[in-house]
Amino acid sequence: MNLIDRYIAEVGRHLPHKQRADIEAEIRSTLEDMLEERKQAEGTVSEAQVIELLKEYGAPRKVAESYVGPNYLIGPRVYPIFELVTRIVLIVLFGLALAGLGLSLAKSSLSEPEFLKTIGESALGLFGGMITAFGNIVLVFAILERVLPAKEFEEEEEWDPAELAREPDPDRVKFGEQIFETFFLVVFLVIFNLYPGVIGFGFFNENDWVFISPILTEAFFSYLPWINILILLQLGFNIILLRRGWWNTGLRVANIVLELAGIALAAAMLRGPDLASLTPAQLAGTPLEDSAGIFISLANWIPTLVLTIVIIVSSIEAAQMVYKIIKSRSSPTYPVLK
Amino acid sequence: MENDEIVQNMLLELRRGVLSIAVLSQLSREQYGYSLLKALSDQGMEIDQSTLYPLLRRLEAQGLLQSDWRIMDEARPRRYYVISTQGKAVLTKLKREWSTMVETMKQMLS
Repeated sequence: MNLIDRYIAEVGRHLPHKQRADIEAEIRSTLEDMLEERKQAEGTVSEAQVIELLKEYGAPRKVAESYVGPNYLIGPRVYPIFELVTRIVLIVLFGLALAGLGLSLAKSSLSEPEFLKTIGESALGLFGGMITAFGNIVLVFAILERVLPAKEFEEEEEWDPAELAREPDPDRVKFGEQIFETFFLVVFLVIFNLYPGVIGFGFFNENDWVFISPILTEAFFSYLPWINILILLQLGFNIILLRRGWWNTGLRVANIVLELAGIALAAAMLRGPDLASLTPAQLAGTPLEDSAGIFISLANWIPTLVLTIVIIVSSIEAAQMVYKIIKSRSSPTYPVLK
Repeated sequence: MENDEIVQNMLLELRRGVLSIAVLSQLSREQYGYSLLKALSDQGMEIDQSTLYPLLRRLEAQGLLQSDWRIMDEARPRRYYVISTQGKAVLTKLKREWSTMVETMKQMLS
């Protein structure tokens, strides 16, 4: 492999796969033209002259960059929302860790080394949790950066200052809300399918953090394929909505269907067998052993509470969608910049 | 920053601004990259390869140029560029704007 081949291969390493062959061929053609010109002027071309020619052409990475342009993992258009979500998630995590630490330190029986050990373990747990949460947020926003069309975050090409005084357009998609919801849907999908063990029942026993898991029952996992289908449909819907940027009747109807499907599934899960359970054996040897009955009831009650909230929230959202469809048909429309 | 450096940076920006017009103006007959580079250089418009080729691609993506790989006299494939119909229309408008700009600047600087 001669120097020119090695140079072109190095430039190619920094180029996108799609354009690589074409750009490499063009660079090779130019380098050969330049070499030929020098050969005609000086009779022969030494390796030193080839090196000089390649230096003149530019460092491989720089040459590749001139073709590719800036490349972002998370670009400026979604960065403000990324920053907001990151801040909220990290603050919530920090608050939860602080509350947990406070509870465990409140025990008067802690000796000094145990006291320090508890703080150290909490700090380590918090650090790990924050890194994981940050990684997941980055992953979701990196995907959004690539699926969202550029125009949605750019200013309108033409605009009428009179529009500024108008009330917000009810058809315009609220990007912050949709991205926030999409992020949490992905988190649920990942947790339910890959890390169901993180859903459990935790408390401090003396100086140790006791975490009882799994608490999700087989009944819950029998519903998981349906939960997955609904989450994936909702994710697909959110991406379409984000790409489009505007609600219309069709999208509102689709959203109502999704909400109703969610309500139906939640209702079926409520009527079915227990979704989470604690057994007396799991609580044996802990201070909760004596009041095992209360905690076992609590384990059954929490999924009921969550599903009831899901049904109420989904019903409100479906009703809002129906109201907006009726309103958009009955109220006179005014021109908006779409 | 030294004055020379400031002037150099400003000249670079000025040249960048007119490069598209210069390139379009030289492609009424088809040329391959290096011959275009030489043609521009011979007329006093020095330009780096790393600037020219991405610019050619951008202009082609905008529909202002057409290109194809061909083997002409020598047995080596080269990519030949030529201005498109849309490019000609755009160049005509740009030339007009450029003349106006030159006149304006002449008046401002006199």
